[in-house]
Amino acid sequence: MNVTRRHFVKSATAATLAFGAVPLLRAQSTRKFRTALIGSGWWGMNILREAMASGRSKVIALGDVDTRALDATAMHVNDASGDQPKKYRDFRELLDKEKPEIVIVATPDHWHSLISIAALRAGAHVFVEKPTGHTVRESRAMVDVAKATGRLVQVGLHRRIGPHFVSGMKFLKEGGAGQIGMVRAFVHSGGGKERPAPNADPPEGLDWDFYCGPAQLRPFNTKIHPGGWRNFLGFANGTLGDWGVHWLDQVLRWTDEKFPRRIFSTGGRPVQGEPVLNEREQTSDAPDSQIAVYQFESFTVNWEHRKFADNKAEKSAIGCNFYGTKGTFHLGWRDGWTFYPANDNDKILHEPSQIQEPDGHNLTLLWKNFLESIDAGRVPIGDVESAHRATNMSLLGMLSLKLGRSIQWDGDKETIPGDAEANQLLSRAYRGPWEYPKA
Amino acid sequence: MIRSFLRTIFALIALAALDVAADDWPHWRGPNFNGISNEKNWLSSWPAAGPPVAWKAAVGIGFSSVSVVNDRVFTMGYVDEKDVVWCLDAATGKVLWKHAYDADLGDKFFEGGPTSTPTLAGEVVYTSSRWGDVFCFEAASGKIRWSKNLQKETGLRIPDWGFAGSPVVHENLLLLNLGDAGIAVEKETGKLVWTSANKDAGYSTPLRFARNGETFAILGSAKSFVAVNAKTGKESWRIPWPTQYGVNAADPVLDGDLMFISSGYGKGAGLFKLSGAQSEAVWQNKELRTQMNPSVLLNGFLFGIDGDTTSKASLKCLDFKTGVLKWAESGIGSGALMAADGKLIVLTDRGELIVAEASPERFKPIARTQVLGGKCWTVPVLANGHIYCRNAQGNLVCLDVQAK
Repeated sequence: MNVTRRHFVKSATAATLAFGAVPLLRAQSTRKFRTALIGSGWWGMNILREAMASGRSKVIALGDVDTRALDATAMHVNDASGDQPKKYRDFRELLDKEKPEIVIVATPDHWHSLISIAALRAGAHVFVEKPTGHTVRESRAMVDVAKATGRLVQVGLHRRIGPHFVSGMKFLKEGGAGQIGMVRAFVHSGGGKERPAPNADPPEGLDWDFYCGPAQLRPFNTKIHPGGWRNFLGFANGTLGDWGVHWLDQVLRWTDEKFPRRIFSTGGRPVQGEPVLNEREQTSDAPDSQIAVYQFESFTVNWEHRKFADNKAEKSAIGCNFYGTKGTFHLGWRDGWTFYPANDNDKILHEPSQIQEPDGHNLTLLWKNFLESIDAGRVPIGDVESAHRATNMSLLGMLSLKLGRSIQWDGDKETIPGDAEANQLLSRAYRGPWEYPKA
Repeated sequence: MIRSFLRTIFALIALAALDVAADDWPHWRGPNFNGISNEKNWLSSWPAAGPPVAWKAAVGIGFSSVSVVNDRVFTMGYVDEKDVVWCLDAATGKVLWKHAYDADLGDKFFEGGPTSTPTLAGEVVYTSSRWGDVFCFEAASGKIRWSKNLQKETGLRIPDWGFAGSPVVHENLLLLNLGDAGIAVEKETGKLVWTSANKDAGYSTPLRFARNGETFAILGSAKSFVAVNAKTGKESWRIPWPTQYGVNAADPVLDGDLMFISSGYGKGAGLFKLSGAQSEAVWQNKELRTQMNPSVLLNGFLFGIDGDTTSKASLKCLDFKTGVLKWAESGIGSGALMAADGKLIVLTDRGELIVAEASPERFKPIARTQVLGGKCWTVPVLANGHIYCRNAQGNLVCLDVQAK
């Protein structure tokens, strides 16, 4: 710490003491927030566990369209905290009756914006999973509503706060890899052809129509629920809309540029096969492989994912490579970060990951930051505006893929200049009675 | 005359050869349907390097365990867009026959591939897939006696992870965990005999018990454990047992008129007294929450896996009659175990094979060795002096533990 900063901190502390704000802060920091979870599945429970472990949440309500998830999550909550949350099928009723102070949104993507906006308008602070929207404009609406209501939004971008990500960013920003001209982000796994599974009546206790909500209604299939919706483009945006947000977010954290100027994506299902959707059976419909190129003013990013062949030829199947004049910086997940210097005489540098297993995240730190930000009234690390820009990276890649050609992007106005057809895809028609959100 | 007599003798010998020997492991949960082998004379302590590897084989992605009768090993795996049923030579691992059929990998939340285990019965072997394909093969040749897709025939719902129970032979029937409370077909023909409501099945293998001259089958269903008359499918009793995602996967453990059940996702365990058409709780607690592989009961103590694949699962010992926890051993993960000659044979989820005393005092390992990498959720099997372990990717290793 340099002298100037130390001096500043000391002065700030003195000022705080002088104004007698410390007792007030302390009173605030032990207060328990009336907390509700909407989307009570596996990941929602992961977040809610952090809320309970912080000792600063009283879990008052759970929302889900599947009573199986509701019942099980209620049991977990009761086991962990003794709280007895009320169970709701309809999030609107939950918000209306319970008046939660914190709402966690961990539904499939197509609900993120609508529910978060409703929670903000009901006066709650929101912790919402990434991405912030299924299309660009509903994500933008969430940003605007957050601003208008003055409530806080923390987006589940735990990779912003994970220790090896933080130190990796520092290394890059301090020029450890030299001048970076190109970034490659990638997520690869094994896999093969996909066969259709038979459609079925929704299981007892699942309100399938409500699950589909603003998205197109399609026959129920166990490939979708629980947990398979990421591979269905009506509910999510495939691998780019899932993993892509985390890694492309790291690129945005590193660069001073706010958005790419030109985007092109191609891909498809050469291995999994053409999507199937008929009365009897269906497959998923997200691409099994995809390349998206993001042209910034001073560098280019290449995203690729593949659900076959894995990536045994390289050292890692998941992460980001920043290519600089001093060497290649690999920002990974469980494998931490590694810097491979261009000069053979220099040493390879490595920092291991410090993540929470078994799911490999840093939610404890992210939840802590959320509470500190609420207490202090400051912008949290996963703030909605920058998370929206990270979400846009993946949504614009998907948009180009669907369109079949490249697009320009005016990130200040959030439009695709001179391309009416492409601009149409920045939003989508909602299925009634749901209305596309506006700020 | 003599020739005819000799022919009879040879025929008898041939038949006997396919009969189940004392130390075979002919189906899921072994000869006694309880995870405990009859085998006594095997090497339970090894040098640090572990017992010698007899052979290795690649059987494809999946979680099917092995069944062993005499010199033959049966298992399943997913290779090149098909499920493969393998018959391997127990001495060498060489393929004696195999049969492949189209199947989905079904890799939602895990590696996918087959999750049930072949069932040997006399001269035939039965297999079932996650999608309802059922086969009856001649064990010696692999010739198909009959096959059908029971899901397509009945329209019964496929539960989230596909059908996982293994087939069970009961008299003239083959019982399977499809539907709300099982399904039965004629074992000779595959013809449907009885079925159950079109609700999600659980993931356990039908477990039979006899009471007052009647045989019942207990099935883990999506929201309950249910007992049906094995002959007719008529429901006898049902214990509501809801878990997140409808996963009742671990087979019950029976002892006289007592039945132990356990499920994961934070659910817990319970001991029930079965009397006639009723069942009544003796105890229930959350000390043992078994997501997949069932426990074994030895000398009044249960040994089983507590916790989910997504948590820090451990091996635990509980007093069967009271449910009181005796000890917990971390570092096992979502592994699996069986028992033989009063010892536990445990495969951790990271591929370490451990032999331990079945002691209620504490975890007492006798021998341990790393036998596989990758993810191991499949129970190790001791049969005829060999221990078989596999991982999700389908690396099958056969270890020689014959007493010298």
